[in-house]
Amino acid sequence: MFTRPFRFERAGTLADACAMLRRHGEGAKVIAGGQSLMPLVNLGLAQPEVVIDISRAGSGPDAGAGSGPDAGAGSGPDAGAGSGPDAGAGSGPDAGAGSGPDAGAREISAADGYLHIGALVTHARLAADPAAARLQPLLGAAAGSIGNPRVRNRGTLGGSLAHGDPAAELPLVMVALGASYQITDGRRPRQARAEEFHLGYLTTGLADDELIAAARVPVLGPGWGWSFHEVSRRDGDFALAAVAALVRIADGIVVESRVAAGGVADRPVRLADVEIALSGASPGEIGARLDGVGPLRGIRPVSDTAASAGYRARLCRVLVGRALAEASARSLAAA
Amino acid sequence: MSAESRTSAEIAVTLTVNGREVSRTAGAHLTLLRWLREAAGVTDPKYGCGEGSCGSCTVLVDGQPVSACLVLAAQVDGAAVTTAAGLLQADGSLGPLQRAFQQRHAAQCGFCTPGMLVTAAAALAGGRRLGRAEIRAALHGNLCRCTGYGPIVDAIELAQDEAPR
Repeated sequence: MFTRPFRFERAGTLADACAMLRRHGEGAKVIAGGQSLMPLVNLGLAQPEVVIDISRAGSGPDAGAGSGPDAGAGSGPDAGAGSGPDAGAGSGPDAGAGSGPDAGAREISAADGYLHIGALVTHARLAADPAAARLQPLLGAAAGSIGNPRVRNRGTLGGSLAHGDPAAELPLVMVALGASYQITDGRRPRQARAEEFHLGYLTTGLADDELIAAARVPVLGPGWGWSFHEVSRRDGDFALAAVAALVRIADGIVVESRVAAGGVADRPVRLADVEIALSGASPGEIGARLDGVGPLRGIRPVSDTAASAGYRARLCRVLVGRALAEASARSLAAA
Repeated sequence: MSAESRTSAEIAVTLTVNGREVSRTAGAHLTLLRWLREAAGVTDPKYGCGEGSCGSCTVLVDGQPVSACLVLAAQVDGAAVTTAAGLLQADGSLGPLQRAFQQRHAAQCGFCTPGMLVTAAAALAGGRRLGRAEIRAALHGNLCRCTGYGPIVDAIELAQDEAPR
Protein backbone atom coordinates (compact mmCIF):
# COMPACT_ATOMS: atom_id res chain seq x y z
CA MET A 1 0.00 0.00 0.00
CA PHE A 2 3.00 2.30 -0.25
CA THR A 3 1.89 3.71 -3.57
CA ARG A 4 3.88 6.14 -5.60
CA PRO A 5 2.11 9.49 -5.20
CA PHE A 6 0.03 10.64 -8.14
CA ARG A 7 -1.93 13.73 -8.99
CA PHE A 8 -5.71 13.80 -9.07
CA GLU A 9 -8.08 15.53 -11.40
CA ARG A 10 -11.87 15.43 -11.29
CA ALA A 11 -13.69 15.40 -14.62
CA GLY A 12 -16.99 17.28 -14.71
CA THR A 13 -18.07 15.43 -17.82
CA LEU A 14 -16.93 12.46 -19.86
CA ALA A 15 -15.78 14.89 -22.57
CA ASP A 16 -13.64 16.66 -19.98
CA ALA A 17 -12.09 13.35 -19.02
CA CYS A 18 -11.25 12.59 -22.67
CA ALA A 19 -9.60 16.01 -23.01
CA MET A 20 -7.63 15.35 -19.83
CA LEU A 21 -6.50 12.00 -21.21
CA ARG A 22 -5.21 13.75 -24.34
CA ARG A 23 -3.44 16.38 -22.24
CA HIS A 24 -1.75 13.98 -19.83
CA GLY A 25 -0.92 11.17 -22.23
CA GLU A 26 0.36 7.81 -21.15
CA GLY A 27 0.74 8.42 -17.42
CA ALA A 28 -2.97 9.08 -16.95
CA LYS A 29 -5.50 6.55 -15.72
CA VAL A 30 -9.26 6.92 -15.41
CA ILE A 31 -11.00 5.94 -12.20
CA ALA A 32 -14.74 5.44 -11.68
CA GLY A 33 -15.55 2.86 -9.01
CA GLY A 34 -11.88 2.00 -8.59
CA GLN A 35 -12.47 -1.72 -8.16
CA SER A 36 -10.06 -2.69 -10.95
CA LEU A 37 -7.57 0.18 -10.92
CA MET A 38 -7.02 0.44 -7.17
CA PRO A 39 -6.05 -3.22 -6.60
CA LEU A 40 -3.42 -2.74 -9.32
CA VAL A 41 -2.25 0.49 -7.66
CA ASN A 42 -2.19 -1.06 -4.18
CA LEU A 43 -0.17 -4.01 -5.44
CA GLY A 44 2.24 -1.72 -7.32
CA LEU A 45 1.21 -3.15 -10.70
CA ALA A 46 -0.05 0.22 -11.94
CA GLN A 47 1.82 3.43 -11.18
CA PRO A 48 -0.18 6.25 -12.73
CA GLU A 49 1.09 9.83 -12.71
CA VAL A 50 -2.39 11.31 -12.88
CA VAL A 51 -5.71 9.75 -11.94
CA ILE A 52 -8.77 11.24 -13.62
CA ASP A 53 -11.96 10.74 -11.63
CA ILE A 54 -15.14 10.30 -13.68
CA SER A 55 -17.25 8.99 -10.80
CA ARG A 56 -19.09 12.32 -10.59
CA ALA A 57 -19.21 13.07 -14.30
CA GLY A 58 -22.52 14.58 -15.29
CA SER A 59 -23.78 14.96 -11.73
CA GLY A 60 -23.78 17.87 -9.34
CA PRO A 61 -22.34 21.35 -9.71
CA ASP A 62 -19.23 20.23 -11.59
CA ALA A 63 -21.30 18.99 -14.48
CA GLY A 64 -21.68 22.31 -16.20
CA ALA A 65 -17.96 22.84 -16.60
CA GLY A 66 -17.49 21.10 -19.91
CA SER A 67 -20.94 20.78 -21.28
CA GLY A 68 -20.28 21.97 -24.83
CA PRO A 69 -18.76 19.06 -26.71
CA ASP A 70 -20.72 16.48 -24.76
CA ALA A 71 -24.07 17.94 -25.56
CA GLY A 72 -23.31 17.37 -29.21
CA ALA A 73 -22.28 13.79 -28.64
CA GLY A 74 -25.72 12.86 -27.37
CA SER A 75 -27.58 14.23 -30.34
CA GLY A 76 -25.36 12.62 -32.96
CA PRO A 77 -26.24 9.62 -35.08
CA ASP A 78 -27.55 7.82 -32.05
CA ALA A 79 -30.26 10.26 -31.18
CA GLY A 80 -31.86 9.59 -34.53
CA ALA A 81 -31.95 5.89 -33.73
CA GLY A 82 -34.65 6.67 -31.21
CA SER A 83 -32.78 6.64 -27.93
CA GLY A 84 -36.05 7.79 -26.39
CA PRO A 85 -35.70 9.85 -23.24
CA ASP A 86 -32.24 11.07 -24.21
CA ALA A 87 -32.93 11.92 -27.80
CA GLY A 88 -34.25 15.44 -27.50
CA ALA A 89 -32.28 16.44 -24.46
CA GLY A 90 -28.89 17.20 -25.97
CA SER A 91 -29.96 19.95 -28.32
CA GLY A 92 -29.99 23.26 -26.41
CA PRO A 93 -26.81 25.14 -25.58
CA ASP A 94 -27.05 24.34 -21.86
CA ALA A 95 -28.36 20.86 -22.30
CA GLY A 96 -25.03 19.21 -21.63
CA ALA A 97 -25.11 20.18 -17.98
CA GLY A 98 -27.38 17.45 -16.77
CA SER A 99 -28.46 15.50 -19.78
CA GLY A 100 -26.62 14.33 -22.94
CA PRO A 101 -24.47 11.21 -22.68
CA ASP A 102 -23.27 12.13 -19.21
CA ALA A 103 -26.71 11.87 -17.72
CA GLY A 104 -27.15 8.73 -19.82
CA ALA A 105 -23.97 7.43 -18.21
CA ARG A 106 -25.92 6.96 -14.98
CA GLU A 107 -29.16 5.68 -16.46
CA ILE A 108 -30.79 2.41 -17.32
CA SER A 109 -33.46 2.97 -19.95
CA ALA A 110 -35.29 0.93 -22.56
CA ALA A 111 -36.32 1.88 -26.08
CA ASP A 112 -36.91 0.11 -29.38
CA GLY A 113 -35.90 -3.34 -28.24
CA TYR A 114 -32.70 -2.28 -26.52
CA LEU A 115 -31.64 -1.58 -22.97
CA HIS A 116 -29.31 1.39 -22.64
CA ILE A 117 -27.08 1.02 -19.59
CA GLY A 118 -24.85 3.93 -18.70
CA ALA A 119 -21.18 3.31 -18.04
CA LEU A 120 -21.39 4.68 -14.49
CA VAL A 121 -24.20 2.32 -13.44
CA THR A 122 -22.91 0.20 -10.56
CA HIS A 123 -23.13 -3.58 -10.51
CA ALA A 124 -25.39 -3.38 -7.43
CA ARG A 125 -27.79 -1.11 -9.28
CA LEU A 126 -27.81 -3.26 -12.41
CA ALA A 127 -28.41 -6.39 -10.31
CA ALA A 128 -31.38 -4.74 -8.56
CA ASP A 129 -32.91 -2.86 -11.49
CA PRO A 130 -36.49 -4.03 -12.15
CA ALA A 131 -36.53 -3.00 -15.83
CA ALA A 132 -33.28 -4.86 -16.52
CA ALA A 133 -34.62 -7.91 -14.65
CA ARG A 134 -37.76 -7.90 -16.76
CA LEU A 135 -36.23 -7.11 -20.14
CA GLN A 136 -32.85 -8.87 -20.00
CA PRO A 137 -32.49 -11.00 -16.85
CA LEU A 138 -29.05 -12.30 -17.89
CA LEU A 139 -27.61 -8.88 -17.01
CA GLY A 140 -28.72 -8.92 -13.40
CA ALA A 141 -27.68 -12.54 -12.92
CA ALA A 142 -24.19 -11.67 -14.13
CA ALA A 143 -23.92 -8.38 -12.23
CA GLY A 144 -25.08 -10.04 -9.01
CA SER A 145 -22.33 -12.66 -9.37
CA ILE A 146 -19.51 -10.09 -9.38
CA GLY A 147 -17.13 -10.08 -6.43
CA ASN A 148 -18.83 -9.21 -3.17
CA PRO A 149 -21.32 -6.53 -2.06
CA ARG A 150 -18.59 -3.89 -1.64
CA VAL A 151 -17.27 -4.47 -5.15
CA ARG A 152 -20.82 -4.24 -6.50
CA ASN A 153 -21.53 -1.02 -4.58
CA ARG A 154 -18.64 0.82 -6.24
CA GLY A 155 -17.76 -1.08 -9.41
CA THR A 156 -19.24 0.25 -12.64
CA LEU A 157 -20.29 -1.27 -15.95
CA GLY A 158 -17.90 0.91 -17.94
CA GLY A 159 -15.02 0.09 -15.62
CA SER A 160 -15.51 -3.64 -15.96
CA LEU A 161 -15.87 -3.49 -19.74
CA ALA A 162 -12.89 -1.18 -20.24
CA HIS A 163 -10.68 -3.17 -17.86
CA GLY A 164 -11.36 -6.25 -19.96
CA ASP A 165 -10.55 -9.03 -17.53
CA PRO A 166 -11.14 -12.27 -19.47
CA ALA A 167 -12.85 -13.86 -16.46
CA ALA A 168 -15.13 -10.90 -15.73
CA GLU A 169 -18.89 -11.41 -15.86
CA LEU A 170 -20.10 -8.34 -17.75
CA PRO A 171 -17.86 -8.59 -20.84
CA LEU A 172 -18.98 -12.22 -21.08
CA VAL A 173 -22.70 -11.49 -21.07
CA MET A 174 -22.22 -8.58 -23.46
CA VAL A 175 -20.56 -10.94 -25.94
CA ALA A 176 -23.24 -13.58 -25.40
CA LEU A 177 -26.01 -11.00 -25.92
CA GLY A 178 -24.51 -9.38 -29.00
CA ALA A 179 -24.37 -6.02 -27.22
CA SER A 180 -22.55 -2.97 -28.50
CA TYR A 181 -20.78 -0.19 -26.64
CA GLN A 182 -21.19 3.53 -27.13
CA ILE A 183 -17.72 5.01 -27.04
CA THR A 184 -16.80 8.68 -26.92
CA ASP A 185 -13.65 10.72 -27.24
CA GLY A 186 -15.61 13.80 -26.22
CA ARG A 187 -15.94 14.96 -29.81
CA ARG A 188 -17.76 12.24 -31.67
CA PRO A 189 -19.38 9.03 -30.55
CA ARG A 190 -18.81 5.65 -32.12
CA GLN A 191 -20.18 2.18 -31.59
CA ALA A 192 -18.24 -1.04 -31.15
CA ARG A 193 -19.63 -4.56 -30.99
CA ALA A 194 -18.70 -6.31 -27.76
CA GLU A 195 -17.40 -9.28 -29.70
CA GLU A 196 -14.92 -7.10 -31.55
CA PHE A 197 -14.07 -4.79 -28.64
CA HIS A 198 -12.49 -7.34 -26.30
CA LEU A 199 -9.14 -8.11 -27.93
CA GLY A 200 -7.19 -10.01 -25.31
CA TYR A 201 -6.02 -10.06 -21.72
CA LEU A 202 -6.87 -6.62 -20.27
CA THR A 203 -6.81 -5.35 -23.84
CA THR A 204 -9.68 -3.64 -25.64
CA GLY A 205 -10.33 -1.55 -28.72
CA LEU A 206 -10.52 1.64 -26.66
CA ALA A 207 -8.17 4.38 -27.89
CA ASP A 208 -6.04 6.24 -25.35
CA ASP A 209 -8.45 9.18 -25.19
CA GLU A 210 -11.73 7.26 -25.39
CA LEU A 211 -14.23 6.21 -22.74
CA ILE A 212 -17.17 3.85 -22.80
CA ALA A 213 -20.33 5.93 -22.29
CA ALA A 214 -22.91 3.15 -22.31
CA ALA A 215 -23.77 -0.35 -23.43
CA ARG A 216 -26.65 -1.09 -25.77
CA VAL A 217 -28.11 -4.50 -25.05
CA PRO A 218 -30.85 -6.28 -27.01
CA VAL A 219 -33.78 -7.17 -24.77
CA LEU A 220 -34.70 -10.82 -24.34
CA GLY A 221 -36.94 -11.76 -27.25
CA PRO A 222 -40.17 -13.75 -26.90
CA GLY A 223 -39.60 -17.44 -26.30
CA TRP A 224 -35.93 -17.10 -25.34
CA GLY A 225 -34.50 -18.73 -22.22
CA TRP A 226 -31.30 -17.62 -20.54
CA SER A 227 -28.77 -18.91 -18.04
CA PHE A 228 -25.58 -17.79 -16.33
CA HIS A 229 -23.26 -20.16 -14.47
CA GLU A 230 -19.83 -19.66 -12.99
CA VAL A 231 -17.53 -21.54 -10.66
CA SER A 232 -14.72 -20.03 -8.59
CA ARG A 233 -12.55 -21.39 -5.80
CA ARG A 234 -14.20 -19.10 -3.28
CA ASP A 235 -17.49 -17.37 -3.94
CA GLY A 236 -16.54 -13.87 -5.09
CA ASP A 237 -13.18 -14.81 -6.61
CA PHE A 238 -12.69 -14.50 -10.34
CA ALA A 239 -14.38 -17.33 -12.20
CA LEU A 240 -12.34 -20.39 -13.14
CA ALA A 241 -14.91 -20.67 -15.89
CA ALA A 242 -18.20 -18.91 -16.56
CA VAL A 243 -20.86 -19.52 -19.19
CA ALA A 244 -23.74 -17.43 -20.48
CA ALA A 245 -26.31 -19.14 -22.69
CA LEU A 246 -29.45 -18.07 -24.54
CA VAL A 247 -31.73 -20.59 -26.20
CA ARG A 248 -34.98 -20.27 -28.16
CA ILE A 249 -37.05 -23.37 -28.57
CA ALA A 250 -40.01 -23.33 -30.94
CA ASP A 251 -42.19 -26.26 -32.01
CA GLY A 252 -40.10 -28.53 -29.82
CA ILE A 253 -36.68 -27.81 -31.26
CA VAL A 254 -33.84 -25.36 -30.69
CA VAL A 255 -34.15 -22.74 -33.40
CA GLU A 256 -31.62 -20.22 -32.11
CA SER A 257 -28.95 -20.15 -29.45
CA ARG A 258 -26.07 -18.01 -28.27
CA VAL A 259 -23.41 -19.47 -25.99
CA ALA A 260 -20.28 -17.76 -24.67
CA ALA A 261 -17.63 -18.63 -22.09
CA GLY A 262 -15.34 -16.57 -19.87
CA GLY A 263 -12.20 -17.38 -17.90
CA VAL A 264 -11.09 -19.94 -20.48
CA ALA A 265 -9.32 -17.71 -23.02
CA ASP A 266 -7.70 -14.28 -23.12
CA ARG A 267 -11.15 -12.79 -23.75
CA PRO A 268 -14.78 -13.91 -23.57
CA VAL A 269 -15.46 -16.23 -26.49
CA ARG A 270 -18.56 -17.28 -28.42
CA LEU A 271 -18.85 -21.05 -28.70
CA ALA A 272 -20.06 -21.13 -32.29
CA ASP A 273 -19.56 -24.90 -32.66
CA VAL A 274 -21.95 -25.51 -29.80
CA GLU A 275 -24.53 -23.12 -31.26
CA ILE A 276 -24.38 -24.90 -34.61
CA ALA A 277 -24.58 -28.35 -33.02
CA LEU A 278 -27.70 -27.38 -31.07
CA SER A 279 -29.66 -26.29 -34.07
CA GLY A 280 -32.73 -28.45 -34.54
CA ALA A 281 -32.20 -30.43 -31.33
CA SER A 282 -35.14 -31.32 -29.14
CA PRO A 283 -34.63 -30.38 -25.49
CA GLY A 284 -33.90 -34.03 -24.69
CA GLU A 285 -31.17 -34.18 -27.33
CA ILE A 286 -29.21 -31.13 -26.18
CA GLY A 287 -26.85 -33.11 -23.95
CA ALA A 288 -26.01 -35.61 -26.67
CA ARG A 289 -25.47 -32.83 -29.21
CA LEU A 290 -23.05 -31.15 -26.80
CA ASP A 291 -21.21 -34.45 -26.28
CA GLY A 292 -20.90 -34.70 -30.04
CA VAL A 293 -18.94 -31.46 -30.20
CA GLY A 294 -15.26 -32.25 -29.85
CA PRO A 295 -12.87 -30.12 -27.82
CA LEU A 296 -14.46 -26.67 -27.60
CA ARG A 297 -12.96 -24.46 -30.28
CA GLY A 298 -12.03 -20.95 -29.24
CA ILE A 299 -11.18 -21.76 -25.65
CA ARG A 300 -7.52 -21.65 -24.65
CA PRO A 301 -7.49 -22.10 -20.88
CA VAL A 302 -4.28 -21.56 -18.93
CA SER A 303 -2.97 -23.22 -15.78
CA ASP A 304 -2.39 -21.12 -12.69
CA THR A 305 -2.46 -21.50 -8.91
CA ALA A 306 -6.26 -21.74 -8.91
CA ALA A 307 -6.75 -24.50 -11.51
CA SER A 308 -5.09 -26.37 -14.33
CA ALA A 309 -5.91 -25.69 -17.96
CA GLY A 310 -7.42 -29.17 -18.26
CA TYR A 311 -9.67 -28.63 -15.28
CA ARG A 312 -10.85 -25.30 -16.68
CA ALA A 313 -11.66 -26.89 -20.03
CA ARG A 314 -13.58 -29.70 -18.36
CA LEU A 315 -15.38 -27.25 -16.08
CA CYS A 316 -16.32 -25.06 -19.02
CA ARG A 317 -17.97 -28.02 -20.72
CA VAL A 318 -19.90 -28.94 -17.60
CA LEU A 319 -21.10 -25.36 -17.20
CA VAL A 320 -22.17 -25.21 -20.86
CA GLY A 321 -24.30 -28.31 -20.22
CA ARG A 322 -25.88 -26.82 -17.11
CA ALA A 323 -26.49 -23.48 -18.74
CA LEU A 324 -28.09 -25.04 -21.81
CA ALA A 325 -30.35 -27.21 -19.66
CA GLU A 326 -31.49 -24.21 -17.64
CA ALA A 327 -31.86 -21.90 -20.63
CA SER A 328 -33.91 -24.43 -22.59
CA ALA A 329 -36.15 -25.10 -19.59
CA ARG A 330 -36.75 -21.35 -19.34
CA SER A 331 -37.43 -21.14 -23.05
CA LEU A 332 -40.04 -23.88 -22.77
CA ALA A 333 -41.59 -22.13 -19.78
CA ALA A 334 -41.69 -18.84 -21.68
CA ALA A 335 -43.38 -20.33 -24.72
CA MET B 1 -5.47 26.63 -17.92
CA SER B 2 -2.37 24.44 -17.88
CA ALA B 3 -2.51 20.78 -17.02
CA GLU B 4 -0.33 21.33 -13.97
CA SER B 5 -2.63 23.90 -12.43
CA ARG B 6 -5.71 21.69 -12.70
CA THR B 7 -4.25 18.57 -11.20
CA SER B 8 -3.38 18.33 -7.55
CA ALA B 9 -0.69 16.40 -5.73
CA GLU B 10 -2.23 17.56 -2.46
CA ILE B 11 -5.94 17.93 -2.08
CA ALA B 12 -8.34 19.21 0.57
CA VAL B 13 -10.98 16.67 1.51
CA THR B 14 -13.82 17.15 3.96
CA LEU B 15 -15.71 14.15 5.25
CA THR B 16 -18.24 13.67 8.00
CA VAL B 17 -16.57 10.88 9.93
CA ASN B 18 -18.80 9.23 12.52
CA GLY B 19 -20.89 12.38 12.70
CA ARG B 20 -17.96 14.78 13.04
CA GLU B 21 -16.82 16.99 10.16
CA VAL B 22 -13.13 16.45 9.40
CA SER B 23 -11.11 18.46 6.85
CA ARG B 24 -7.57 17.53 5.88
CA THR B 25 -5.26 18.46 3.06
CA ALA B 26 -3.25 15.40 2.15
CA GLY B 27 -1.78 13.51 -0.79
CA ALA B 28 -4.27 13.19 -3.63
CA HIS B 29 -3.18 9.56 -4.04
CA LEU B 30 -4.39 8.59 -0.57
CA THR B 31 -7.11 5.98 -0.44
CA LEU B 32 -10.01 6.64 1.88
CA LEU B 33 -8.43 4.09 4.22
CA ARG B 34 -5.07 5.85 4.33
CA TRP B 35 -6.75 9.25 4.63
CA LEU B 36 -8.74 8.02 7.62
CA ARG B 37 -5.79 6.33 9.31
CA GLU B 38 -2.90 8.65 8.44
CA ALA B 39 -4.51 12.05 7.94
CA ALA B 40 -7.51 11.88 10.26
CA GLY B 41 -6.22 9.47 12.94
CA VAL B 42 -9.21 7.13 12.60
CA THR B 43 -7.53 3.75 12.91
CA ASP B 44 -10.33 1.23 13.35
CA PRO B 45 -10.55 0.18 9.67
CA LYS B 46 -7.57 -2.05 8.82
CA TYR B 47 -5.49 -2.66 5.71
CA GLY B 48 -5.73 -6.31 4.72
CA CYS B 49 -5.45 -7.46 1.13
CA GLY B 50 -5.53 -4.22 -0.86
CA GLU B 51 -7.73 -5.77 -3.53
CA GLY B 52 -11.24 -5.84 -2.11
CA SER B 53 -11.44 -9.49 -1.09
CA CYS B 54 -10.93 -9.44 2.68
CA GLY B 55 -13.22 -6.71 4.00
CA SER B 56 -11.03 -5.58 6.92
CA CYS B 57 -11.03 -2.00 5.56
CA THR B 58 -14.83 -1.86 5.17
CA VAL B 59 -16.44 1.47 6.03
CA LEU B 60 -19.86 2.86 5.18
CA VAL B 61 -19.86 5.68 2.65
CA ASP B 62 -23.26 7.36 2.77
CA GLY B 63 -24.55 4.16 4.38
CA GLN B 64 -23.15 1.70 1.84
CA PRO B 65 -20.34 -0.75 2.64
CA VAL B 66 -17.26 -0.09 0.52
CA SER B 67 -13.63 -1.20 0.61
CA ALA B 68 -11.89 1.93 1.88
CA CYS B 69 -8.62 0.70 0.35
CA LEU B 70 -10.16 0.83 -3.16
CA VAL B 71 -11.63 4.34 -3.05
CA LEU B 72 -9.63 7.54 -3.21
CA ALA B 73 -10.52 9.96 -0.43
CA ALA B 74 -10.72 12.73 -3.03
CA GLN B 75 -13.42 10.80 -4.88
CA VAL B 76 -15.81 10.84 -1.93
CA ASP B 77 -15.17 14.41 -0.76
CA GLY B 78 -18.28 15.56 1.10
CA ALA B 79 -19.53 12.07 1.99
CA ALA B 80 -20.60 10.74 5.37
CA VAL B 81 -18.30 7.93 6.51
CA THR B 82 -19.10 5.50 9.29
CA THR B 83 -16.44 3.28 10.84
CA ALA B 84 -16.87 0.79 13.67
CA ALA B 85 -16.18 3.56 16.18
CA GLY B 86 -19.26 5.30 14.83
CA LEU B 87 -21.44 2.53 16.27
CA LEU B 88 -20.74 3.66 19.84
CA GLN B 89 -23.61 5.18 21.81
CA ALA B 90 -23.60 8.92 22.38
CA ASP B 91 -22.19 8.40 25.89
CA GLY B 92 -19.26 6.39 24.53
CA SER B 93 -20.54 3.00 25.66
CA LEU B 94 -20.79 0.07 23.26
CA GLY B 95 -23.65 0.05 20.79
CA PRO B 96 -25.99 -2.97 20.48
CA LEU B 97 -23.95 -4.65 17.73
CA GLN B 98 -20.67 -4.13 19.52
CA ARG B 99 -22.16 -5.45 22.77
CA ALA B 100 -23.53 -8.49 20.97
CA PHE B 101 -20.12 -9.19 19.37
CA GLN B 102 -18.60 -9.08 22.85
CA GLN B 103 -21.30 -11.31 24.36
CA ARG B 104 -21.09 -13.93 21.59
CA HIS B 105 -17.27 -13.94 21.44
CA ALA B 106 -17.47 -12.85 17.81
CA ALA B 107 -13.99 -11.29 17.88
CA GLN B 108 -10.82 -13.28 18.40
CA CYS B 109 -7.77 -11.61 16.88
CA GLY B 110 -10.05 -8.67 16.07
CA PHE B 111 -8.55 -7.67 12.75
CA CYS B 112 -11.74 -8.33 10.76
CA THR B 113 -14.05 -7.01 13.48
CA PRO B 114 -14.34 -3.33 12.46
CA GLY B 115 -15.31 -4.40 8.94
CA MET B 116 -17.70 -7.05 10.22
CA LEU B 117 -19.39 -4.51 12.50
CA VAL B 118 -20.09 -1.87 9.86
CA THR B 119 -21.14 -4.48 7.30
CA ALA B 120 -23.59 -5.86 9.86
CA ALA B 121 -24.80 -2.36 10.70
CA ALA B 122 -25.58 -1.70 7.03
CA ALA B 123 -27.38 -5.05 6.72
CA LEU B 124 -29.55 -4.33 9.76
CA ALA B 125 -30.21 -0.72 8.77
CA GLY B 126 -33.05 -1.81 6.51
CA GLY B 127 -35.03 -2.66 9.62
CA ARG B 128 -36.24 -6.00 8.27
CA ARG B 129 -35.45 -9.09 10.35
CA LEU B 130 -32.73 -11.14 8.63
CA GLY B 131 -32.45 -14.93 8.71
CA ARG B 132 -29.07 -16.59 9.24
CA ALA B 133 -28.65 -17.21 5.52
CA GLU B 134 -29.29 -13.54 4.79
CA ILE B 135 -26.81 -12.49 7.45
CA ARG B 136 -24.22 -14.79 5.91
CA ALA B 137 -24.95 -13.36 2.46
CA ALA B 138 -24.48 -9.84 3.80
CA LEU B 139 -21.09 -10.83 5.26
CA HIS B 140 -20.00 -12.29 1.94
CA GLY B 141 -16.60 -10.77 1.27
CA ASN B 142 -15.69 -10.12 4.90
CA LEU B 143 -13.15 -12.79 5.77
CA CYS B 144 -12.49 -14.04 9.30
CA ARG B 145 -9.68 -16.51 9.85
CA CYS B 146 -10.38 -17.12 13.56
CA THR B 147 -14.02 -17.65 14.42
CA GLY B 148 -15.38 -19.82 11.66
CA TYR B 149 -18.10 -17.14 11.34
CA GLY B 150 -20.63 -18.92 13.60
CA PRO B 151 -20.21 -16.55 16.56
CA ILE B 152 -20.33 -13.54 14.24
CA VAL B 153 -23.67 -14.62 12.77
CA ASP B 154 -24.87 -15.39 16.35
CA ALA B 155 -23.90 -11.90 17.45
CA ILE B 156 -25.71 -10.20 14.58
CA GLU B 157 -28.83 -12.27 15.29
CA LEU B 158 -28.61 -11.31 18.94
CA ALA B 159 -28.22 -7.62 18.10
CA GLN B 160 -31.25 -7.55 15.85
CA ASP B 161 -33.36 -9.43 18.40
CA GLU B 162 -32.32 -7.21 21.29
CA ALA B 163 -32.42 -3.84 19.62
CA PRO B 164 -34.30 -3.76 16.33
CA ARG B 165 -32.79 -0.88 14.38
